[in-house]
Amino acid sequence: MTSTTGTTRKPWLDALLRLPLAILGGYLFTYTATAALARLLPVERYDAALISTLLSFALYTVFVLWAFAVHSLRRVLLGVALSLPLAAIGFWPQLLEVLA
Amino acid sequence: MKPRSLTQSMSSLHTWCGLLLGWVLFAIFLTGTLAVFDRELNWWMQPELPASTATQTAAVETAQRWLEREHPDAATWNISLPTDRSPVLSVSHGEQRRGERTLLDAETGEVLEARQSVGGNFFFRFHYTLHMPRTIGIWLVGFAAMAMLVAIISGIIIHKKIFKDFFTFRPAKGQRSWLDGHNASAVLLLPFHLMITYTGLVIFFLIYMPAAIDALYDGDRQAMQRDARATSAQQEATIARGEGRAEGQQASQRGEGRAEGGRNRGERPVEAAPLLPLADFIVKGEAHYGVGMLSALSVSNPGKADARVTVRPLLGSRIELTKGESLVFSGVSGKVLQSPPPSRASQLTQRVMAGLHFAQFGGYPMRWLYFLCGLVSCVMIASGLVLYTVKQRKQAKGSRVFLNIAERLNIATVAGLCVACVALLWANRLLPAELAARGDWEMRVFFGAWLLSLLHAALRPVFLAWREQFYLAAALCLALPVPQLLASFPTDGLRLGVDITTVALGLVLGWLALKIPALADTHSVTKPRAARLAGAQQ
Repeated sequence: MTSTTGTTRKPWLDALLRLPLAILGGYLFTYTATAALARLLPVERYDAALISTLLSFALYTVFVLWAFAVHSLRRVLLGVALSLPLAAIGFWPQLLEVLA
Repeated sequence: MKPRSLTQSMSSLHTWCGLLLGWVLFAIFLTGTLAVFDRELNWWMQPELPASTATQTAAVETAQRWLEREHPDAATWNISLPTDRSPVLSVSHGEQRRGERTLLDAETGEVLEARQSVGGNFFFRFHYTLHMPRTIGIWLVGFAAMAMLVAIISGIIIHKKIFKDFFTFRPAKGQRSWLDGHNASAVLLLPFHLMITYTGLVIFFLIYMPAAIDALYDGDRQAMQRDARATSAQQEATIARGEGRAEGQQASQRGEGRAEGGRNRGERPVEAAPLLPLADFIVKGEAHYGVGMLSALSVSNPGKADARVTVRPLLGSRIELTKGESLVFSGVSGKVLQSPPPSRASQLTQRVMAGLHFAQFGGYPMRWLYFLCGLVSCVMIASGLVLYTVKQRKQAKGSRVFLNIAERLNIATVAGLCVACVALLWANRLLPAELAARGDWEMRVFFGAWLLSLLHAALRPVFLAWREQFYLAAALCLALPVPQLLASFPTDGLRLGVDITTVALGLVLGWLALKIPALADTHSVTKPRAARLAGAQQ
């Protein structure tokens, strides 16, 4: 059975891998998602920064809960990997500067 | 090979949050609850001071006379006005707003001597820094708050029968009672727990989550502040003239550059000009903020043509947290140089959330509500901590060594911190009033008492350690008014309030200590019924 990854593992080992993924990976995800949201919100720059930052803690909470609710750790890892496209959206002017 | 259910995974998350940060959270919540009455404790901790009955106008006249006589050449004067919660006039001079303060009798202008004390401010600072270096402390508290938020939401998911649980309490039934107590205190004030945790995070939101500033402002906070002010045309004009700029940036810069304006002006000669009576500015300030809503006044370059008078409101003239806000006048002409622009909607949202956490609005009824809700939060966290060890002991799984450590730490955190807090108040009364660096000694007593309680918890049997520490805390609380009575210090409503509240808390702690034998039958692992209940738990 291949689908049992994450369920047959010892509970403490599972938690040991999940905790850093949820805490650090979750922060990375929230950081980039907040930046992307701030970039995309169709309001003035200042308001966009404030609104997205105020929402960030809820986002972080949801990510941590999701990281524990999902069975396979691989999906949590995929969730963290979403940070890359989000960072590209949030920081595209800075990205262009670096690439230029 | 059944995959674990949502309830199971949320339950393990809930446990992890409690295990990693439950102890820290209890300390944060208890000191935060006490900090609701920080000013009252400050006042209580300087018992020599008589309450001033003078009006703010009279007080500011006294202060001006004293400062003009003693420090006519100071770059800045700061006057802290007597208010309902802190009925004393204090002045300071020089560049630092928080420098050495001189306490004055508001009527006669005599200098008052009072013992040095950390005051209720200690609880306030401990609440958000844990007495660590500021940055580290703020991050650790923020991390704990996130864990709290996650614990609350995962707790809600675990309890599908949330409303039924609220009406369920089976006292003296061991683990069941602990679970019911934890559930009831959590469900009862669920909105409060959520609100206080989220708004706590919002206070330092840009420190915790600088993503948006990094993305949109390249991490330049001052550029963001400039954007915030750009809406008000009047504000822009003020900035263009360069007047009052240092004042306007106070909120963001916290200290650096605070006196910059004053110092730069000192270099070029400015002709002398008489300062208007400061009482005038009280009237002007009250016209803007409301009668009795002012807390402080500062004057930069007094006696010079470019003197500026800054009037600060009391926090809590509205829900919005107005920290750092002020009205700036010319000290010579009395004209308004700078008035706070109305907050824009997004900024107002953040400030109202921060204000909800600071609980400075709504006067004493609101303050009491926050205090009682905070106590219920403490009960919720403490019962969760105890529930964990009770459950572990019953199920006889996991490491005994860890269980033992957890039980001892529970005692030192919950009962020990209660002892330490009241020990701080006793240190305030018993340490010699003229002791040098007296505030530091008060803190040493606080941490010393806490450390001793940990030692005591480590050496005594668990059940006895709980009981003895609660009895000690209760006795210390109940006897706290005695030194006050013996020394016959002036007493007033504020100090009496602190004494009565402490005695009431002492009664509650004593009741807890009495109840411990009934609660502690859970510690006998042999009962088959208990084992069955524990099995049915998950």
